[in-house]
Amino acid sequence: MSNDDSLDPIRLWREWFVKSEKAWSDALTEMMGDENFSRGMGRYMHEALHTHRMFSESMAQYLANLNIPSRGDILDMSDRLAHIEETLNHIQVELRSQRAQLTKLAAGAPEAGARKRPARTRTAEPNPS
Amino acid sequence: MESPSARNESPTGDVDSRIGRIIDRAIARNIPGLAPLPQTESELDVGPTPKELVYSDETARLYHYEPVLDEIYRVPLLLVMSPVAKGYILDLARGQSLVEYLLLQGHDVYMLDWAAPRREQSRLGLAEYVIDLVGGCIDAVARDCGEDDITLVGYCMGGMLSAMYTALNPAGAVKNLVCFTTPANGDGMELYKKWMTSPAFDIDRLVDELGNIPGDFINQSLQALRPLQRSANQMRLLNNVQDDAFVKAHLRFDRWAVDQLPVPGMLARDLVRDFIIGNKIVDNTLELRGQRVDMARITVPFLHVAAQHDHIVPAAASRDLIGLVGSKEKQEIVMKGGHVSLVAGGNAVFRLWPQLDQWIRVRAT
Repeated sequence: MSNDDSLDPIRLWREWFVKSEKAWSDALTEMMGDENFSRGMGRYMHEALHTHRMFSESMAQYLANLNIPSRGDILDMSDRLAHIEETLNHIQVELRSQRAQLTKLAAGAPEAGARKRPARTRTAEPNPS
Repeated sequence: MESPSARNESPTGDVDSRIGRIIDRAIARNIPGLAPLPQTESELDVGPTPKELVYSDETARLYHYEPVLDEIYRVPLLLVMSPVAKGYILDLARGQSLVEYLLLQGHDVYMLDWAAPRREQSRLGLAEYVIDLVGGCIDAVARDCGEDDITLVGYCMGGMLSAMYTALNPAGAVKNLVCFTTPANGDGMELYKKWMTSPAFDIDRLVDELGNIPGDFINQSLQALRPLQRSANQMRLLNNVQDDAFVKAHLRFDRWAVDQLPVPGMLARDLVRDFIIGNKIVDNTLELRGQRVDMARITVPFLHVAAQHDHIVPAAASRDLIGLVGSKEKQEIVMKGGHVSLVAGGNAVFRLWPQLDQWIRVRAT
Protein backbone atom coordinates (compact mmCIF):
# COMPACT_ATOMS: atom_id res chain seq x y z
CA MET A 1 0.00 0.00 0.00
CA SER A 2 1.44 3.38 -0.93
CA ASN A 3 1.87 6.09 1.75
CA ASP A 4 -0.46 8.46 -0.14
CA ASP A 5 -3.35 6.05 0.32
CA SER A 6 -2.66 4.97 3.90
CA LEU A 7 -5.29 7.31 5.37
CA ASP A 8 -7.87 6.92 2.62
CA PRO A 9 -10.91 5.65 4.59
CA ILE A 10 -12.51 4.05 1.51
CA ARG A 11 -9.34 2.14 0.78
CA LEU A 12 -9.06 1.08 4.44
CA TRP A 13 -12.65 -0.13 4.30
CA ARG A 14 -11.93 -2.09 1.10
CA GLU A 15 -8.92 -3.72 2.71
CA TRP A 16 -10.97 -4.66 5.77
CA PHE A 17 -13.62 -6.15 3.47
CA VAL A 18 -11.03 -8.22 1.57
CA LYS A 19 -9.55 -9.52 4.83
CA SER A 20 -12.86 -10.39 6.43
CA GLU A 21 -14.59 -11.68 3.27
CA LYS A 22 -13.88 -15.35 3.99
CA ALA A 23 -15.53 -15.18 7.43
CA TRP A 24 -18.62 -13.40 6.04
CA SER A 25 -18.85 -15.81 3.12
CA ASP A 26 -18.60 -18.81 5.46
CA ALA A 27 -21.39 -17.38 7.61
CA LEU A 28 -23.62 -16.81 4.58
CA THR A 29 -22.90 -20.28 3.20
CA GLU A 30 -23.75 -21.83 6.56
CA MET A 31 -27.01 -19.90 6.53
CA MET A 32 -27.78 -21.18 3.03
CA GLY A 33 -27.22 -24.75 4.22
CA ASP A 34 -30.09 -24.40 6.68
CA GLU A 35 -33.06 -26.75 6.17
CA ASN A 36 -35.55 -23.90 5.86
CA PHE A 37 -33.38 -22.08 3.35
CA SER A 38 -33.05 -25.26 1.24
CA ARG A 39 -36.81 -25.77 1.31
CA GLY A 40 -37.42 -22.11 0.46
CA MET A 41 -34.96 -22.29 -2.41
CA GLY A 42 -36.68 -25.38 -3.79
CA ARG A 43 -40.03 -23.61 -3.64
CA TYR A 44 -38.56 -20.53 -5.30
CA MET A 45 -37.16 -22.74 -8.06
CA HIS A 46 -40.58 -24.28 -8.70
CA GLU A 47 -42.17 -20.84 -8.89
CA ALA A 48 -39.40 -19.52 -11.14
CA LEU A 49 -39.82 -22.48 -13.51
CA HIS A 50 -43.58 -22.01 -13.56
CA THR A 51 -43.17 -18.28 -14.29
CA HIS A 52 -40.58 -19.10 -16.93
CA ARG A 53 -42.98 -21.42 -18.72
CA MET A 54 -45.89 -18.99 -18.44
CA PHE A 55 -43.91 -16.05 -19.80
CA SER A 56 -42.21 -18.12 -22.52
CA GLU A 57 -45.57 -19.26 -23.88
CA SER A 58 -47.35 -15.91 -23.70
CA MET A 59 -44.35 -13.88 -24.90
CA ALA A 60 -43.72 -16.25 -27.82
CA GLN A 61 -47.27 -15.67 -29.04
CA TYR A 62 -47.05 -11.91 -28.47
CA LEU A 63 -43.71 -11.62 -30.28
CA ALA A 64 -44.97 -13.78 -33.14
CA ASN A 65 -47.91 -11.37 -33.57
CA LEU A 66 -45.45 -8.46 -33.73
CA ASN A 67 -43.22 -10.40 -36.15
CA ILE A 68 -40.29 -10.20 -33.69
CA PRO A 69 -38.10 -13.26 -32.99
CA SER A 70 -38.65 -14.97 -29.64
CA ARG A 71 -36.05 -16.69 -27.44
CA GLY A 72 -37.04 -19.97 -29.08
CA ASP A 73 -36.32 -18.51 -32.52
CA ILE A 74 -32.91 -17.28 -31.35
CA LEU A 75 -32.16 -20.73 -29.89
CA ASP A 76 -33.18 -22.32 -33.21
CA MET A 77 -30.75 -20.05 -34.99
CA SER A 78 -28.04 -20.77 -32.41
CA ASP A 79 -28.55 -24.52 -32.97
CA ARG A 80 -28.28 -24.07 -36.73
CA LEU A 81 -25.08 -22.06 -36.31
CA ALA A 82 -23.70 -24.75 -34.01
CA HIS A 83 -24.49 -27.35 -36.72
CA ILE A 84 -22.62 -25.26 -39.29
CA GLU A 85 -19.71 -24.87 -36.85
CA GLU A 86 -19.67 -28.63 -36.33
CA THR A 87 -19.57 -29.24 -40.08
CA LEU A 88 -16.68 -26.78 -40.38
CA ASN A 89 -14.92 -28.62 -37.54
CA HIS A 90 -15.24 -31.91 -39.41
CA ILE A 91 -13.86 -30.31 -42.58
CA GLN A 92 -10.97 -28.83 -40.57
CA VAL A 93 -10.19 -32.22 -39.01
CA GLU A 94 -10.36 -33.91 -42.43
CA LEU A 95 -8.05 -31.33 -43.97
CA ARG A 96 -5.57 -31.85 -41.15
CA SER A 97 -5.66 -35.58 -41.69
CA GLN A 98 -5.17 -35.17 -45.48
CA ARG A 99 -2.25 -32.83 -44.85
CA ALA A 100 -0.66 -35.42 -42.53
CA GLN A 101 -1.01 -38.08 -45.26
CA LEU A 102 0.58 -35.76 -47.81
CA THR A 103 3.41 -35.06 -45.36
CA LYS A 104 4.07 -38.79 -45.12
CA LEU A 105 4.06 -39.14 -48.92
CA ALA A 106 6.38 -36.17 -49.28
CA ALA A 107 8.73 -37.46 -46.57
CA GLY A 108 11.38 -38.12 -49.20
CA ALA A 109 10.97 -34.70 -50.72
CA PRO A 110 11.99 -32.06 -48.16
CA GLU A 111 11.39 -29.28 -50.67
CA ALA A 112 7.65 -29.93 -50.24
CA GLY A 113 7.92 -27.72 -47.14
CA ALA A 114 5.74 -29.94 -44.98
CA ARG A 115 6.17 -29.45 -41.21
CA LYS A 116 8.24 -32.20 -39.58
CA ARG A 117 7.02 -33.72 -36.34
CA PRO A 118 9.50 -33.75 -33.44
CA ALA A 119 11.15 -37.06 -32.51
CA ARG A 120 9.56 -38.85 -29.56
CA THR A 121 12.90 -39.85 -28.10
CA ARG A 122 13.30 -37.45 -25.19
CA THR A 123 14.57 -39.08 -22.01
CA ALA A 124 13.67 -38.11 -18.47
CA GLU A 125 16.76 -36.17 -17.46
CA PRO A 126 16.57 -34.41 -14.09
CA ASN A 127 14.82 -31.07 -14.23
CA PRO A 128 17.40 -28.26 -14.02
CA SER A 129 14.90 -26.08 -12.12
CA MET B 1 -14.27 27.25 -24.88
CA GLU B 2 -17.77 25.96 -25.59
CA SER B 3 -18.97 25.36 -29.11
CA PRO B 4 -22.27 26.96 -30.25
CA SER B 5 -23.95 23.56 -30.28
CA ALA B 6 -22.82 22.86 -26.71
CA ARG B 7 -24.42 26.15 -25.56
CA ASN B 8 -27.77 24.96 -26.91
CA GLU B 9 -27.66 21.73 -24.90
CA SER B 10 -29.82 21.19 -21.82
CA PRO B 11 -28.10 21.73 -18.43
CA THR B 12 -27.94 17.96 -17.84
CA GLY B 13 -26.53 17.31 -21.31
CA ASP B 14 -23.95 20.03 -20.70
CA VAL B 15 -22.79 18.43 -17.45
CA ASP B 16 -22.67 15.02 -19.17
CA SER B 17 -20.57 16.30 -22.04
CA ARG B 18 -18.20 18.11 -19.63
CA ILE B 19 -17.71 14.92 -17.61
CA GLY B 20 -17.16 13.04 -20.86
CA ARG B 21 -14.49 15.54 -21.91
CA ILE B 22 -12.73 15.32 -18.52
CA ILE B 23 -12.64 11.51 -18.77
CA ASP B 24 -11.38 11.65 -22.35
CA ARG B 25 -8.62 14.06 -21.31
CA ALA B 26 -7.66 11.81 -18.39
CA ILE B 27 -7.43 8.79 -20.68
CA ALA B 28 -5.43 10.81 -23.17
CA ARG B 29 -2.99 11.66 -20.39
CA ASN B 30 -2.60 7.92 -19.74
CA ILE B 31 -3.83 8.01 -16.18
CA PRO B 32 -3.60 4.34 -15.22
CA GLY B 33 -6.89 2.63 -14.52
CA LEU B 34 -9.05 4.96 -16.58
CA ALA B 35 -8.44 3.39 -19.96
CA PRO B 36 -11.29 1.19 -21.26
CA LEU B 37 -10.95 -2.27 -19.75
CA PRO B 38 -10.54 -5.25 -22.08
CA GLN B 39 -13.57 -7.53 -21.89
CA THR B 40 -13.71 -10.08 -24.69
CA GLU B 41 -11.58 -13.22 -25.06
CA SER B 42 -9.69 -11.65 -27.96
CA GLU B 43 -9.07 -8.37 -26.08
CA LEU B 44 -7.81 -10.33 -23.09
CA ASP B 45 -5.74 -12.54 -25.40
CA VAL B 46 -6.56 -15.77 -23.55
CA GLY B 47 -5.50 -19.15 -24.99
CA PRO B 48 -2.46 -17.76 -26.86
CA THR B 49 -0.64 -21.07 -27.51
CA PRO B 50 -1.01 -22.21 -31.15
CA LYS B 51 -3.24 -25.27 -31.48
CA GLU B 52 -5.12 -27.29 -34.06
CA LEU B 53 -8.44 -29.07 -33.87
CA VAL B 54 -7.79 -32.81 -34.18
CA TYR B 55 -11.17 -34.34 -33.47
CA SER B 56 -14.69 -33.22 -32.77
CA ASP B 57 -17.71 -35.20 -31.65
CA GLU B 58 -20.90 -33.88 -30.02
CA THR B 59 -19.64 -31.42 -27.36
CA ALA B 60 -16.05 -32.71 -27.33
CA ARG B 61 -13.29 -30.69 -29.00
CA LEU B 62 -9.83 -32.24 -29.07
CA TYR B 63 -6.96 -29.82 -29.72
CA HIS B 64 -3.28 -30.52 -30.30
CA TYR B 65 -0.78 -27.86 -29.25
CA GLU B 66 2.13 -27.23 -31.55
CA PRO B 67 5.31 -28.71 -29.98
CA VAL B 68 8.08 -26.18 -29.42
CA LEU B 69 11.04 -28.56 -29.02
CA ASP B 70 12.66 -30.83 -31.61
CA GLU B 71 12.62 -33.79 -29.23
CA ILE B 72 9.62 -34.69 -27.09
CA TYR B 73 8.62 -37.45 -24.67
CA ARG B 74 7.13 -40.57 -26.24
CA VAL B 75 3.86 -40.64 -24.29
CA PRO B 76 1.43 -37.85 -25.20
CA LEU B 77 -0.46 -35.98 -22.51
CA LEU B 78 -4.19 -35.32 -22.69
CA LEU B 79 -5.61 -32.53 -20.49
CA VAL B 80 -9.29 -33.21 -19.79
CA MET B 81 -11.28 -30.12 -18.83
CA SER B 82 -14.35 -30.01 -16.65
CA PRO B 83 -17.54 -30.03 -18.79
CA VAL B 84 -18.73 -26.86 -17.00
CA ALA B 85 -15.59 -24.78 -17.60
CA LYS B 86 -13.65 -23.52 -20.57
CA GLY B 87 -10.16 -24.86 -21.23
CA TYR B 88 -8.40 -21.52 -21.59
CA ILE B 89 -7.81 -21.43 -17.82
CA LEU B 90 -4.95 -23.85 -18.51
CA ASP B 91 -3.61 -21.52 -21.22
CA LEU B 92 -4.50 -18.15 -19.76
CA ALA B 93 -1.68 -15.95 -21.07
CA ARG B 94 1.96 -16.16 -22.07
CA GLY B 95 3.96 -16.97 -18.93
CA GLN B 96 0.77 -17.95 -17.12
CA SER B 97 -0.04 -21.08 -19.07
CA LEU B 98 0.26 -24.69 -17.92
CA VAL B 99 0.08 -25.76 -21.58
CA GLU B 100 2.98 -23.51 -22.55
CA TYR B 101 5.02 -24.77 -19.58
CA LEU B 102 4.45 -28.43 -20.46
CA LEU B 103 5.39 -27.80 -24.11
CA LEU B 104 8.63 -26.13 -23.00
CA GLN B 105 9.43 -29.19 -20.87
CA GLY B 106 9.10 -31.43 -23.96
CA HIS B 107 5.63 -32.92 -23.56
CA ASP B 108 3.27 -33.53 -26.48
CA VAL B 109 0.11 -31.81 -25.26
CA TYR B 110 -3.50 -32.37 -26.29
CA MET B 111 -6.57 -30.86 -24.65
CA LEU B 112 -10.13 -32.13 -24.48
CA ASP B 113 -12.17 -28.94 -24.24
CA TRP B 114 -15.97 -28.80 -24.29
CA ALA B 115 -18.39 -26.82 -26.41
CA ALA B 116 -21.76 -25.57 -25.18
CA PRO B 117 -24.37 -28.29 -25.78
CA ARG B 118 -27.16 -27.67 -28.28
CA ARG B 119 -30.75 -28.31 -27.18
CA GLU B 120 -30.87 -31.75 -28.78
CA GLN B 121 -27.64 -32.65 -26.92
CA SER B 122 -29.44 -32.54 -23.57
CA ARG B 123 -29.61 -36.34 -23.99
CA LEU B 124 -25.83 -36.63 -23.29
CA GLY B 125 -25.28 -38.15 -19.86
CA LEU B 126 -22.37 -39.41 -17.80
CA ALA B 127 -22.07 -42.62 -19.90
CA GLU B 128 -21.82 -40.63 -23.15
CA TYR B 129 -19.26 -38.25 -21.66
CA VAL B 130 -17.04 -40.99 -20.21
CA ILE B 131 -17.35 -43.83 -22.73
CA ASP B 132 -18.01 -42.05 -26.02
CA LEU B 133 -16.44 -38.62 -25.70
CA VAL B 134 -13.40 -39.15 -23.44
CA GLY B 135 -12.91 -42.59 -25.05
CA GLY B 136 -13.27 -41.14 -28.56
CA CYS B 137 -10.66 -38.47 -27.84
CA ILE B 138 -8.17 -41.00 -26.42
CA ASP B 139 -8.54 -43.06 -29.62
CA ALA B 140 -8.12 -39.89 -31.71
CA VAL B 141 -4.88 -38.99 -29.88
CA ALA B 142 -3.53 -42.49 -30.62
CA ARG B 143 -4.41 -42.12 -34.31
CA ASP B 144 -2.92 -38.65 -34.48
CA CYS B 145 0.44 -39.29 -32.83
CA GLY B 146 0.81 -43.02 -33.45
CA GLU B 147 1.38 -43.88 -29.77
CA ASP B 148 -0.78 -46.40 -27.94
CA ASP B 149 -0.03 -45.04 -24.45
CA ILE B 150 -1.35 -41.82 -22.99
CA THR B 151 -1.09 -39.76 -19.80
CA LEU B 152 -4.49 -38.43 -18.72
CA VAL B 153 -4.55 -35.21 -16.69
CA GLY B 154 -8.05 -34.25 -15.56
CA TYR B 155 -9.05 -30.99 -13.91
CA CYS B 156 -11.97 -30.96 -11.44
CA MET B 157 -14.86 -32.87 -13.07
CA GLY B 158 -12.51 -33.62 -15.95
CA GLY B 159 -10.54 -35.64 -13.39
CA MET B 160 -13.72 -37.47 -12.45
CA LEU B 161 -14.40 -38.37 -16.09
CA SER B 162 -10.77 -39.44 -16.58
CA ALA B 163 -10.80 -41.64 -13.47
CA MET B 164 -14.10 -43.23 -14.53
CA TYR B 165 -12.75 -43.96 -18.02
CA THR B 166 -9.57 -45.51 -16.58
CA ALA B 167 -11.62 -47.63 -14.16
CA LEU B 168 -13.75 -48.93 -17.05
CA ASN B 169 -10.67 -49.65 -19.22
CA PRO B 170 -7.96 -50.86 -16.85
CA ALA B 171 -6.05 -52.56 -19.67
CA GLY B 172 -6.56 -49.65 -22.07
CA ALA B 173 -4.35 -46.87 -23.36
CA VAL B 174 -4.05 -44.90 -20.10
CA LYS B 175 -0.48 -45.29 -18.84
CA ASN B 176 -0.58 -42.62 -16.14
CA LEU B 177 -3.45 -40.79 -14.47
CA VAL B 178 -3.31 -37.36 -12.85
CA CYS B 179 -6.32 -35.70 -11.23
CA PHE B 180 -6.43 -32.09 -10.02
CA THR B 181 -8.97 -31.14 -7.35
CA THR B 182 -11.25 -33.99 -8.32
CA PRO B 183 -14.44 -34.69 -6.37
CA ALA B 184 -15.20 -38.30 -5.46
CA ASN B 185 -17.36 -38.12 -2.34
CA GLY B 186 -20.77 -36.51 -2.92
CA ASP B 187 -21.32 -36.18 0.85
CA GLY B 188 -18.35 -33.81 0.91
CA MET B 189 -20.17 -31.33 -1.34
CA GLU B 190 -22.11 -30.27 1.75
CA LEU B 191 -24.12 -27.30 0.55
CA TYR B 192 -25.17 -28.96 -2.72
CA LYS B 193 -26.04 -32.14 -0.86
CA LYS B 194 -28.33 -30.20 1.52
CA TRP B 195 -30.03 -28.38 -1.33
CA MET B 196 -30.45 -31.40 -3.56
CA THR B 197 -31.71 -33.76 -0.90
CA SER B 198 -34.35 -31.24 0.16
CA PRO B 199 -37.84 -32.53 -0.74
CA ALA B 200 -38.51 -29.27 -2.57
CA PHE B 201 -35.67 -29.80 -5.04
CA ASP B 202 -36.63 -31.63 -8.22
CA ILE B 203 -33.87 -32.13 -10.78
CA ASP B 204 -36.27 -33.78 -13.24
CA ARG B 205 -38.56 -30.76 -13.28
CA LEU B 206 -35.57 -28.45 -13.74
CA VAL B 207 -34.19 -30.46 -16.67
CA ASP B 208 -37.61 -31.05 -18.25
CA GLU B 209 -38.26 -27.33 -18.18
CA LEU B 210 -34.85 -26.00 -19.23
CA GLY B 211 -33.35 -28.85 -21.30
CA ASN B 212 -29.73 -27.92 -20.67
CA ILE B 213 -28.81 -26.20 -17.41
CA PRO B 214 -27.71 -22.66 -18.33
CA GLY B 215 -24.18 -21.48 -17.61
CA ASP B 216 -25.49 -18.62 -15.43
CA PHE B 217 -27.25 -21.15 -13.22
CA ILE B 218 -23.96 -23.06 -12.78
CA ASN B 219 -22.14 -19.81 -12.11
CA GLN B 220 -24.61 -18.74 -9.41
CA SER B 221 -24.44 -22.19 -7.79
CA LEU B 222 -20.64 -21.94 -7.64
CA GLN B 223 -20.78 -18.41 -6.26
CA ALA B 224 -23.08 -19.58 -3.47
CA LEU B 225 -20.15 -21.58 -2.11
CA ARG B 226 -18.36 -18.32 -1.35
CA PRO B 227 -20.87 -15.54 -1.91
CA LEU B 228 -18.68 -12.50 -1.24
CA GLN B 229 -15.52 -13.63 -3.00
CA ARG B 230 -16.34 -11.84 -6.23
CA SER B 231 -17.02 -8.58 -4.37
CA ALA B 232 -13.71 -8.96 -2.51
CA ASN B 233 -11.97 -9.49 -5.84
CA GLN B 234 -13.51 -6.26 -7.13
CA MET B 235 -12.13 -4.47 -4.06
CA ARG B 236 -8.70 -5.95 -4.78
CA LEU B 237 -8.99 -4.67 -8.32
CA LEU B 238 -9.76 -1.14 -7.08
CA ASN B 239 -6.82 -1.27 -4.67
CA ASN B 240 -4.47 -2.25 -7.52
CA VAL B 241 -6.03 -0.30 -10.36
CA GLN B 242 -2.76 1.47 -11.18
CA ASP B 243 -0.99 -1.84 -11.82
CA ASP B 244 -1.76 -2.72 -15.46
CA ALA B 245 -0.42 -6.27 -15.18
CA PHE B 246 -2.61 -6.93 -12.11
CA VAL B 247 -5.68 -5.46 -13.81
CA LYS B 248 -5.25 -7.59 -16.93
CA ALA B 249 -4.56 -10.80 -14.94
CA HIS B 250 -7.59 -10.06 -12.72
CA LEU B 251 -9.86 -9.51 -15.73
CA ARG B 252 -8.68 -12.75 -17.35
CA PHE B 253 -9.52 -14.73 -14.18
CA ASP B 254 -12.77 -12.87 -13.68
CA ARG B 255 -13.82 -13.46 -17.27
CA TRP B 256 -13.13 -17.19 -16.94
CA ALA B 257 -14.87 -17.45 -13.56
CA VAL B 258 -18.20 -16.27 -14.99
CA ASP B 259 -17.75 -17.96 -18.37
CA GLN B 260 -19.37 -21.26 -17.35
CA LEU B 261 -20.65 -23.69 -19.95
CA PRO B 262 -24.23 -24.97 -19.90
CA VAL B 263 -24.53 -28.58 -18.79
CA PRO B 264 -26.51 -31.13 -20.83
CA GLY B 265 -29.70 -32.00 -18.96
CA MET B 266 -28.95 -35.71 -18.73
CA LEU B 267 -25.43 -35.10 -17.40
CA ALA B 268 -26.88 -32.80 -14.72
CA ARG B 269 -29.45 -35.48 -13.81
CA ASP B 270 -26.75 -38.17 -13.58
CA LEU B 271 -24.44 -36.02 -11.47
CA VAL B 272 -27.19 -35.00 -9.05
CA ARG B 273 -28.69 -38.49 -8.68
CA ASP B 274 -25.59 -40.67 -8.83
CA PHE B 275 -22.84 -38.47 -7.45
CA ILE B 276 -24.37 -35.91 -5.07
CA ILE B 277 -27.45 -37.75 -3.75
CA GLY B 278 -26.48 -41.39 -4.33
CA ASN B 279 -22.74 -40.95 -3.59
CA LYS B 280 -22.19 -43.96 -5.85
CA ILE B 281 -18.46 -43.47 -6.49
CA VAL B 282 -17.58 -43.97 -2.84
CA ASP B 283 -20.23 -46.68 -2.41
CA ASN B 284 -18.85 -48.42 -5.51
CA THR B 285 -22.31 -48.82 -7.01
CA LEU B 286 -22.03 -46.52 -10.02
CA GLU B 287 -22.78 -48.22 -13.34
CA LEU B 288 -22.38 -46.83 -16.84
CA ARG B 289 -24.09 -48.86 -19.59
CA GLY B 290 -24.21 -51.87 -17.31
CA GLN B 291 -20.53 -51.75 -16.35
CA ARG B 292 -19.62 -51.01 -12.74
CA VAL B 293 -17.21 -48.08 -12.31
CA ASP B 294 -14.92 -49.56 -9.69
CA MET B 295 -12.05 -47.18 -8.91
CA ALA B 296 -10.12 -50.10 -7.41
CA ARG B 297 -9.64 -51.34 -10.99
CA ILE B 298 -7.35 -48.38 -11.68
CA THR B 299 -3.84 -49.82 -11.44
CA VAL B 300 -1.77 -47.30 -13.41
CA PRO B 301 0.49 -44.79 -11.61
CA PHE B 302 -1.83 -42.21 -10.06
CA LEU B 303 -1.30 -38.65 -8.80
CA HIS B 304 -3.97 -36.56 -7.11
CA VAL B 305 -3.31 -32.88 -6.43
CA ALA B 306 -5.68 -31.06 -4.09
CA ALA B 307 -5.74 -27.39 -3.03
CA GLN B 308 -5.60 -26.47 0.64
CA HIS B 309 -8.15 -23.65 0.33
CA ASP B 310 -10.44 -25.17 -2.30
CA HIS B 311 -14.02 -24.08 -1.54
CA ILE B 312 -15.48 -25.59 -4.73
CA VAL B 313 -14.18 -29.12 -4.22
CA PRO B 314 -13.33 -29.17 -0.49
CA ALA B 315 -11.05 -31.79 1.03
CA ALA B 316 -14.11 -33.69 2.29
CA ALA B 317 -15.15 -34.26 -1.34
CA SER B 318 -11.75 -35.10 -2.82
CA ARG B 319 -9.65 -36.84 -0.19
CA ASP B 320 -11.29 -40.28 -0.62
CA LEU B 321 -10.16 -40.60 -4.22
CA ILE B 322 -6.62 -41.72 -3.39
CA GLY B 323 -7.95 -44.50 -1.14
CA LEU B 324 -10.45 -45.71 -3.73
CA VAL B 325 -7.91 -46.04 -6.53
CA GLY B 326 -6.30 -49.49 -6.69
CA SER B 327 -2.87 -48.40 -7.99
CA LYS B 328 0.19 -49.52 -6.03
CA GLU B 329 2.06 -46.45 -7.19
CA LYS B 330 -0.12 -43.56 -6.03
CA GLN B 331 0.50 -40.19 -4.46
CA GLU B 332 -1.52 -37.27 -3.17
CA ILE B 333 -0.16 -33.75 -2.91
CA VAL B 334 -2.04 -31.01 -1.07
CA MET B 335 -0.76 -27.61 -2.12
CA LYS B 336 -1.38 -24.04 -1.04
CA GLY B 337 -3.97 -22.24 -3.10
CA GLY B 338 -7.57 -22.44 -4.18
CA HIS B 339 -9.46 -24.40 -6.81
CA VAL B 340 -8.28 -22.20 -9.68
CA SER B 341 -5.07 -20.64 -8.38
CA LEU B 342 -3.69 -24.15 -7.92
CA VAL B 343 -3.50 -24.68 -11.69
CA ALA B 344 -3.36 -21.14 -13.06
CA GLY B 345 -2.38 -18.70 -10.30
CA GLY B 346 0.81 -16.66 -10.19
CA ASN B 347 2.43 -19.23 -7.89
CA ALA B 348 1.43 -22.31 -9.89
CA VAL B 349 4.58 -21.91 -11.96
CA PHE B 350 6.69 -22.41 -8.80
CA ARG B 351 4.46 -24.92 -7.02
CA LEU B 352 2.30 -27.25 -9.07
CA TRP B 353 3.74 -27.15 -12.58
CA PRO B 354 7.32 -28.31 -11.77
CA GLN B 355 6.00 -31.12 -9.54
CA LEU B 356 3.58 -32.22 -12.24
CA ASP B 357 6.32 -32.20 -14.87
CA GLN B 358 8.68 -34.17 -12.60
CA TRP B 359 6.01 -36.78 -11.92
CA ILE B 360 5.02 -37.21 -15.57
CA ARG B 361 8.43 -37.01 -17.27
CA VAL B 362 9.81 -40.18 -15.67
CA ARG B 363 6.67 -42.03 -16.76
CA ALA B 364 6.44 -40.58 -20.27
CA THR B 365 9.26 -42.44 -21.98
